[in-house]
Amino acid sequence: MGALSKNEVIKAASRGLRGGIAAGLGIVHTGSLAEDDTQLTKFHGIYQQDDRDLRAERGRKKLEPAFSFMARLRIPGGAVTPAQWLALHDVAHERANGTIRLTTRETVQFHGILKGNLRPFMQAVNAALLDTLAACGDVNRNVMATVDPAHSPAHAAALQLARDVSTALLPRSRAWHEIWLGDTLVEGGEAEEEPLYGATYLPRKFKVAIAVPPQNDVDVFAHDLGFIAHVDDAGAVVGWDVTVGGGMGMTHGETDTFPRTADYLGFCTPDEAVAVAAAVMMAQRDHGDRHVRKHARLKYTIETMGLEGFRAAVVDHLGHALAPARGAVFSGTGDRLGWYAGAGGVQNFGLFVQNGRIHDDGARRLMSGLRAIANVHAGTFILTPNQNLVIAGVEDRASLEGMLREYGMVAGASALRQAAMACVALPTCGLALAEGERYLPSLVSDLDGLMAEAGLADAPIVLRVTGCPNGCARPYLAEIGLVGRGPGRYHLYLGAAADGTRLNKLYRGDVDHVGILAALRPLLHGYAAGRRAGERFGDWVIRAGHVAATMAGNRFHDELAEAV
Amino acid sequence: MTALARLPENAPFAPEAIAHLNQVIGGASAVQRTWLAGFLAGLDAAQGVVAAPAAPPAAKQKLTILYATESGNSEALALAAKRDAGKLGFAARVLDAADATVAGLADAGTLLVVASTWGEGEAPQRAIPFVRGLLADDAPRLDGLRFAVLALGDRAYVQFCETGRQIDERLAALGAVRAAPLLECDLDYEAPAAAWMAKSLAALREDGADRVIHVAFGQAAPEPLAFGKANPFAAEIMELVNLNSSRSGKQTVHVELSLEGSGLTYQPGDAIGVLPQNDPAVVEAVMAAAGVAGDDALMAALTARHDVTTLTGHLVRTLAEATGDGGLVALAGDKDALAAYLPGRQVIDLLRDHPVRVEADQLLAALRPLAPRLYSVASSQKAVPDEAHLLVSAVRYAAHGRDRAGVASTWVADRRRVGDSVPVYVKANPHFRLPVDASVPVIMVGPGTGVAPFRAFMQDRDAGGVSGRSWLFFGDRHYTHDFLYQLDWQDWLKRGVLSRMDVAFSRDQPQKRYVQHAMLERAGELYAWLREGARVYVCGDAGQMAKDVDAALRRVLETAGGLGAEAAAAELDTMRRDGRYLQDVY
Repeated sequence: MGALSKNEVIKAASRGLRGGIAAGLGIVHTGSLAEDDTQLTKFHGIYQQDDRDLRAERGRKKLEPAFSFMARLRIPGGAVTPAQWLALHDVAHERANGTIRLTTRETVQFHGILKGNLRPFMQAVNAALLDTLAACGDVNRNVMATVDPAHSPAHAAALQLARDVSTALLPRSRAWHEIWLGDTLVEGGEAEEEPLYGATYLPRKFKVAIAVPPQNDVDVFAHDLGFIAHVDDAGAVVGWDVTVGGGMGMTHGETDTFPRTADYLGFCTPDEAVAVAAAVMMAQRDHGDRHVRKHARLKYTIETMGLEGFRAAVVDHLGHALAPARGAVFSGTGDRLGWYAGAGGVQNFGLFVQNGRIHDDGARRLMSGLRAIANVHAGTFILTPNQNLVIAGVEDRASLEGMLREYGMVAGASALRQAAMACVALPTCGLALAEGERYLPSLVSDLDGLMAEAGLADAPIVLRVTGCPNGCARPYLAEIGLVGRGPGRYHLYLGAAADGTRLNKLYRGDVDHVGILAALRPLLHGYAAGRRAGERFGDWVIRAGHVAATMAGNRFHDELAEAV
Repeated sequence: MTALARLPENAPFAPEAIAHLNQVIGGASAVQRTWLAGFLAGLDAAQGVVAAPAAPPAAKQKLTILYATESGNSEALALAAKRDAGKLGFAARVLDAADATVAGLADAGTLLVVASTWGEGEAPQRAIPFVRGLLADDAPRLDGLRFAVLALGDRAYVQFCETGRQIDERLAALGAVRAAPLLECDLDYEAPAAAWMAKSLAALREDGADRVIHVAFGQAAPEPLAFGKANPFAAEIMELVNLNSSRSGKQTVHVELSLEGSGLTYQPGDAIGVLPQNDPAVVEAVMAAAGVAGDDALMAALTARHDVTTLTGHLVRTLAEATGDGGLVALAGDKDALAAYLPGRQVIDLLRDHPVRVEADQLLAALRPLAPRLYSVASSQKAVPDEAHLLVSAVRYAAHGRDRAGVASTWVADRRRVGDSVPVYVKANPHFRLPVDASVPVIMVGPGTGVAPFRAFMQDRDAGGVSGRSWLFFGDRHYTHDFLYQLDWQDWLKRGVLSRMDVAFSRDQPQKRYVQHAMLERAGELYAWLREGARVYVCGDAGQMAKDVDAALRRVLETAGGLGAEAAAAELDTMRRDGRYLQDVY
């Protein structure tokens, strides 16, 4: 097997995720932290980045790279109070770059935080009763749940389970509190026991999502662990289907890495769910690959052990077998946007946020508008899995409509635009090979033109763009997926199922913007002419023979068309 | 080389006797002259006659030349005065006001003062304790003292030559006798100061007679033409880069000049004088506003030799007289109105507010000569022998409805390119030098371009093998975009040339943060360094920063050192006097 991967060594030596972070914060002549510590900060929800737009000029100017930090919050189920939103608004302006980025996993992240502002940032977040604990790193990440707890009892149960799982799977280390809030060392400075994780935590990140059918807004099959609600006639949750082994990331040119949709593992009762989550996580802790980091996600553990082998490992931790899975049917992965009513007639407004970027952009003043709304809103703000935001539990609809208009927040967007997602990518993400959110708006405009030309103006097609193959915007579950290969170049993937159950397939490699449009134009015309009633674009491209259906992750790289 | 021996004309012989003697000794060989001298001396000795020497050795008149300097100009004049005074037979000593006390002047006999004023009518900072003592109610009487004061200043400031004026008036009030009238000099002080010095030294002579016989034995060979203010060296620009990021609101250019072939030498702490050129657009605007038709010669003169921006009372008066314009005459005649009008305004503002038509020669007469600008050198010749590095912040702002641009800074930053040349000279700054003892710790406070000399210090200690500890406080607006020379500091920190560094960036957080805040956060350690004899160097903005840093140092002495407010202030004065607290502020 060879040596442990480098991160395993760093974790083992970190004394409970402390490392040299605190000392590094005191070094003022550099805006960066020591390299090993930048791996540990991820467990604290922080990524060190540098502004890649500025890289070229800085050396001659005798400046180091323009380092700053991205901090991601832990918000299980994505629900925050208006008061918390106001705190996030303020800290974005005082300690970050003045924008708030809604992520694809129901949380927010902040960019451009200087090292010297990290502690005040964390303290402001903590004062708002929020944290960044385990938002990144080899631990259980932010737990997602189908949006809107007020929509039905099952939705409320999903949010509660998200919170319970998040809490149960938190690292026990007090390092976050010590480093960022100034709490004194506990237990005489000795690292705490981590009963769930051990000293080296997980081999890789671990993502949990909870879905309430027929909505699959959380893309439940894209996560390491999923729970799918089953309800009785009264709408109460009677139990959860458990899915395991989903995951998006892969590496270009390495076909032993691939995105994978999750398998059904079994069914559990509501009482068992948290224990099941812990058991699955511990099975991955024990059996995940700690030698080859690219092969460390749960999906590869299952590929290696086989589903039955992995199930046995889970049962070992759980102490009993799981009931057979019941299966579920989903309608789609999108968010509900615009006005819709929940249980008891509660009014909600799903706000479209392009790229999830909250800022004032010309007449569309989302940042100012949400602050104004938060000042008067009595309900909840819910961050969605598709980078949008639901203003839930609206009491005075007329008043809110007025504010939405006043701040230009209801400007129309095409169906394509509303369902599209892009990751952050350049200039801050160190992994990006091509543009993500800076490319999406103009791409959508051009595709809107093609679709109008083909008579598909209102057709819902799921489009997702990422700057690299790691898959933050879940591009392999998009009907049209674009994955960055290099500046201005993308792999074009087609044929995912709109309900999030089937991966797409590479259709054209290394195409630029013109090439993307040229490749899609005939397909859109063909789809317009040849689609059956209700047939989605992702299904049509397979039926029409343009790409083969990807029936399992380990078949993702197979059966490519010759023209690729 | 043997000079032809000739008696001076004022030798104590009749003119015809001098001619005869010259005939004899003029052609004499060295052996013959020596024999003659020995013969005459021996003859007198044998006859018991004591020969009177050519110059009276007895009781030379004492002269104290006191200077109060910020940039070194006053000191240079004082040293020149000492040379001249020596020739006139004075027993002259030069005294820095930093080392002087008022009581110590009581028996000085004769006093010549050269005093600078800087900023808004303030004394040079090292001279502050002396001036304070002189102006104090309990200052001792100075009856019997004869004095003359030379004041240096900048007419751009309303309180022009204030310190020299105060000293002149106060010496008289304390009973001293003014031997020569006060002279107030502007930036082009050299010629008037030299003329005043000759007259004033003569006036300070007690007997007024010039009995001293000067014998210039052996004329000094003419010195090679050295590059200086009057004869600047055209230094080629080898590198010119804006150190601020492209996202910054500031523009601070690092300029590397070649001194190759110039013979110019400087030390860290010194300044490089740059003779700039005006922006042709400003020149044209001034010419147009003054109704002057331009030819190339006038344009060239106004671009390279005249200050077409600085507005002075002299200019208002000159133009008022030249034109008889009612508005100008009224302004020139109303001291208060003028004092209210001048600050922040430039020549173009006056010409637009008072449209007049003047002749080219009237305009030229009204304008000051274009003064060189001084930049603290940011390099050490130990590291880069043939180079001088400058750090130039492009000055841009709006005032009175117009955009302003610093003459020299934007000339360098915007209108010079690599390969162009810049006329430069070295301006020594002997009061802002690294300690001779390299083991002495240094604390350097240099926000913004104030950090320039400390890059020179670090280069120097690096090249010299380092020994003492060093601590830099730096600040600017934004960490990411304005961290001047960041990679240099990182390298020196890594290699131990720089021991520690603290920073304060004002606009990266809700509350403004400046170097003094960083200093106060480190009060305990700062005090420990001071106790160990560390020298404190402060460079940069004189308006606010230097005062805030001064107050911070006082707080450090109070909080960490346990001193009372007065004791802390006194300790700072002592540090100043002892050369342990040095400023180079502008």
